[in-house]
Amino acid sequence: MRSKIKKNHEFFELSKFRRRFTLLVLLTLFCILFSRAFFLQGMQKDFLQQEGFERSNRNIELYAYRGKIYDRNNQILAASETVRSITLEPNRVEFKKGDKKKLANLLEMKIQTLNKKLKTKRNHIYLKRKVDPKIASKILALKIPGISSEKDYRRTYPDQEISAHVVGYAGNDGNGLEGVEYKKNDLLSGTHGYKKILIDARRRVVENLSEVNVPIDGKDVHLTIDKRLQHIAFQSLKKTIDDSEAISGSAILIDSKTGEILTMVNYPSYNPNKRMRKRTFVRNRVVTDMFEPGSTMKPISIAAALEKKVVNVNTKIDTGNGFYKVGRTLVTDTKPHGIITVKEILQTSSNIGVTKIAEKLSKKELWQTYSNFGIGNLTGLNFPGESKGIIRDYKKWRDRDHYSVSYGYSVSTTIAQLARAYTPFANKGEIKNLRLFKNDPIKIGQRVMSIETTKAVLKMMESVTKEGGTATQAAIPGYRVAGKTGTSRQFIEGKGYGAPGERKYNASFVGIAPISNPKFIMAIVIEDPTKGSNYGGVVAGPVFRKVVAEALKIYSIPQDGIEILDRADEDEKKEI
Amino acid sequence: MKLNLILFSLLIIFALVKINAHHLYRVNHHALEIEKQKTIELKDEQNQLLIEESSKSGNGRISEYARNKLKMNPPEKKQKKLIK
Repeated sequence: MRSKIKKNHEFFELSKFRRRFTLLVLLTLFCILFSRAFFLQGMQKDFLQQEGFERSNRNIELYAYRGKIYDRNNQILAASETVRSITLEPNRVEFKKGDKKKLANLLEMKIQTLNKKLKTKRNHIYLKRKVDPKIASKILALKIPGISSEKDYRRTYPDQEISAHVVGYAGNDGNGLEGVEYKKNDLLSGTHGYKKILIDARRRVVENLSEVNVPIDGKDVHLTIDKRLQHIAFQSLKKTIDDSEAISGSAILIDSKTGEILTMVNYPSYNPNKRMRKRTFVRNRVVTDMFEPGSTMKPISIAAALEKKVVNVNTKIDTGNGFYKVGRTLVTDTKPHGIITVKEILQTSSNIGVTKIAEKLSKKELWQTYSNFGIGNLTGLNFPGESKGIIRDYKKWRDRDHYSVSYGYSVSTTIAQLARAYTPFANKGEIKNLRLFKNDPIKIGQRVMSIETTKAVLKMMESVTKEGGTATQAAIPGYRVAGKTGTSRQFIEGKGYGAPGERKYNASFVGIAPISNPKFIMAIVIEDPTKGSNYGGVVAGPVFRKVVAEALKIYSIPQDGIEILDRADEDEKKEI
Repeated sequence: MKLNLILFSLLIIFALVKINAHHLYRVNHHALEIEKQKTIELKDEQNQLLIEESSKSGNGRISEYARNKLKMNPPEKKQKKLIK
């Protein structure tokens, strides 16, 4: 029995050669495995890890939404919408018959341009950015290998050209380039975030590999602009410029109590939704362009004289036969007014009358008043490109400047400055800073004139819109309106104010309504009206009437001039 | 020996629980990611609708529609009648 077991054991026992051979084979296999492992993990480590990461790890950018821009009633003026960008991998692209033409048509691109893009040596390029999602899905439906789409965002401006100068526009990269978009870019932009994720074989996101850098969305910006009034102001400005064949025009409407800007429009304008290489009429001329304000300066000059008590409302001044020579300068009126009161000087806009009043004041007193009324100072808006206006130091004034400044020459202002300069008349002598952003703190107005003086000037300005005044077309039935017209000659470089027949004019009007409790101040300037009259009252006055009449209705301001309404009714009755 | 066996079994069970928990975490994480994606899509859609609403309710469009399609115009002086 024992011998049998031994035999079996002997039977299974390998020969010495076999044992060694097997061991050698196993050792060899182990060496191969070990060397392979060494090769992969030691020598190819970086490459393989890189490949592994690329297959399973992704860095994802988390988009921070650019803030929206709203008007005062939470109506959108600018927002970002989702679009697609069409991408191309030239190495993979293969066109079936007719596909290339279809693609070029959908991209609104010439075949030659498409071919040029296809020849690029880069691995990944954008065929077209910010494509409408519907067009993008049509392109993807062509199923062209190597053509795909990426999500992108595009800034959209529903108000188009109406609010373009206020809102401005943002570039392809989402950064603001003009207007509020530029001014508040840091606030609107926010900060993009990112995260590193792990995806599985089915490309599902299964884990965050690092701490998520959360995106911080841009903050919304609320403007003081009223979209409804903005539309009305733009349309009536457009109509006036088209009718009078003027070059351009600008208008600003402010809340006289707070200095909030309700409308700020320019015409011609541009559509910020259209992508262009070079844009024209981009400047917000309300705050950037200066002009000589002409007679719209007269209420301030008269206010200075009343404040210094060198004249009163009923002081009579001889304006003669319409011609008055001061030194070598001839001051003229449109027609002889003879002896008239200070009130009538403003009503008839007599240059001679204001010159004679200015003679009673020193240069310093005049300059100080203009400066207090914000002429030559920023309005508080800090709008990109805002200009300060020009008023030279009184020490540098020539005698001629002393008089010409009083009726709005030798001085330059923006239309925004002019509107601000009228806030003391509406606020019992307090000047208000202009505000465009709802969240900006309201600054307390600064007193620049006595209550009595501003009341007196306001009452005098009311006569301008009444029978015998220069701006009867600015009167609003049912309301008492104060204002002042301006018709100033443009100074042309090298030509001066031009010879008769070649002259160009700026027609302007600044008005306040309603007088009993002023709510609105509107300033309008029309550059070079050539058809019909070029007088401020005739050209700019109706724009004031249309816009402010609507504003009074929209803001439910009670009527304070019922007698005017009665007269208007009588006129209508006669017509019927 | 018995204790070792019990501990070994526990080790296996906990290992399996750990694997299962990790798997569940990944499944839930994926579901969360889908929901987050939906949130972004809904936010985009909301933006789109707000823009659309703003464009369509624009004063310019309403005025154009009223004038051209509904033939509405402000009455001229001759068309006005005074009623007392």
